[in-house]
Amino acid sequence: MINGTVVDLSRLQFAATALYHFLFVPLTLGMSFLLAAMETVYVTTGRPIYRQMAMFWGRLFMINFALGVATGLTMEFQFGTNWSFYSSFVGDIFGAPLAIEGLMAFFMESTFIGLMVFGWHRLSKGQHLAVTWLVALASNLSALWILVANGFMQDPQGAAFDPTTMRMHLTSFQDLIFSPDAQSKFVHTSIAGYVTGAIFVAGVSAYYLLRKRHVDLAKRSFRMAVLFGVLATIGVVTLGDALGFVDAKAQPTKLAAMEGLWKTEEAPLPLNLIAFPSQAKQRNYGAVQIPAVLSLLETHSLYGTVPAIDALERQAARQVEDGIPAVQALEALSRNPQDPAALAQFDAHREDLGYGFLVQRYAPDLARVTPAEIRQAAKDSIPPVAAVFWSFRVMVGLGLAMLAFFVLATLYSLRNRVQEKTWLLKLALWMIPLPFLADEAGWLVAELGRQPWTVYGVLPTWMSASTHSVGYMAFSLIGFVVLYSTFIAIEMYLMVRTIRLGPAEPGGPRDRESAPRPMLSGRPFAAAPQVAKRED
Amino acid sequence: MRSFLYFLLFMVVAVMIVVLAAILGDEGAWYFAWLIGTTMIVLVSAAGGAMLDATEDQLARRQGGDPAGHG
Repeated sequence: MINGTVVDLSRLQFAATALYHFLFVPLTLGMSFLLAAMETVYVTTGRPIYRQMAMFWGRLFMINFALGVATGLTMEFQFGTNWSFYSSFVGDIFGAPLAIEGLMAFFMESTFIGLMVFGWHRLSKGQHLAVTWLVALASNLSALWILVANGFMQDPQGAAFDPTTMRMHLTSFQDLIFSPDAQSKFVHTSIAGYVTGAIFVAGVSAYYLLRKRHVDLAKRSFRMAVLFGVLATIGVVTLGDALGFVDAKAQPTKLAAMEGLWKTEEAPLPLNLIAFPSQAKQRNYGAVQIPAVLSLLETHSLYGTVPAIDALERQAARQVEDGIPAVQALEALSRNPQDPAALAQFDAHREDLGYGFLVQRYAPDLARVTPAEIRQAAKDSIPPVAAVFWSFRVMVGLGLAMLAFFVLATLYSLRNRVQEKTWLLKLALWMIPLPFLADEAGWLVAELGRQPWTVYGVLPTWMSASTHSVGYMAFSLIGFVVLYSTFIAIEMYLMVRTIRLGPAEPGGPRDRESAPRPMLSGRPFAAAPQVAKRED
Repeated sequence: MRSFLYFLLFMVVAVMIVVLAAILGDEGAWYFAWLIGTTMIVLVSAAGGAMLDATEDQLARRQGGDPAGHG
């Protein structure tokens, strides 16, 4: 059996790398479409200010993209290094979207980013605009495939366990990519990225407006960012509700943890606005409730109800009992894959195989499993309630705060009164960290809420990890934290430096620097004429 | 001839959009919503920038100055 500390350290390592990586990704997703919007205005109106905007924000986008790629690479390797049983168990399904994501990110996205950065003086306006749109599309499609893979972990669709090969096989690619969880997760995450990009652009523009620098660029960027942000925030809240609605069916334990629902109650269910859940006592302390709101939110009906943790634990205990014969049949099949009695026994109990694995942690010999061990496994099927409950509230609270900011900022921007409102500009600057915190909190809700499973209801986390030593895991974890903290520091330094330097003024020395260098075509490089072809 | 080729190209794109929308409408309503929503968000944001230019141009003309943003 895998050492529990190794499993915890593997989880911590993946969580640390994912949390670091997820600081970069949403900004890339959002800024790519904002760049497309700015360049669209440049191409349609011909005003050079929008070219200057696209180039300046494009530089910040590039810094973020480069460091985002660097932090993302190791995560894909971790599936093989730290989660080898998981990779073997679901690799047939998980590998396809992961490979497509790699192709999207490294071929389509990176190729077009190269053209976007170096093509300003080499492509026509229309060609460059097409490239910028393709960068935005590729960035988001790259996220789509990762979220399809993650959607499978949350709600395994389009796959079945094969007892003869002892791993899961893909049964329907269509079911995999069109699973409701994958779809709603993608749209929610992608649009959360738009909100992040919009807050960032609005905040940096506010900094320039406060200092009365690059005013023409800043007020246009602010206007475009707040309009982009207000629609995106409305979208992210709406799609978050949709995701909750999907989770109510696909992952009832996550939903119960998000809402701190311990005891089954009659409809209409109240919403726990604030509470301090205790997993040991299975109750909330200091709960502040709003009557009937939870039924409306989760079932879109006053008379709807969702199962609470007490009912879910009872159901899990029944599933554990039903899953034990499935695991025992697998043990028999590992000795004789053609054993017809074992195959029949497996088919009769296959639905609850994962729950059988859950109790194996306490009873390696399932013939001697005790009722107390079954109860303990059933308790394990509930995720850490307090962490999920509060991560969810942080995400929602910050999301609503950003919505309020964008509504206010849009109102003043449309009235052309933003520059008079220094308090609003200062607020915009202070809003910059909020979407990053909300994104991280959202990721915690999704991933902590999936526990104790790597693949919900199928493969428990405790048996998914590789069999490394504690020392190896602790050493590599420290290494990742130090390396990624350095990446964050580099990103912050480069971002702040670029923002302080500001955009290149048209025709100024930094604008001329970005003009193309002559190609090395048989002539001495220094002797080539330094002539830039300008479109404007 | 060039116009005809453009016509053909746009017809192919239009047919692809219809087919994509039909498939997504059945199987992937959220993906479809994302495509439409993202396009709308980008275009509204772009329109916001253009609207700001129009307002400033109007103001500059009233004051007899050069329209802003023309470089």
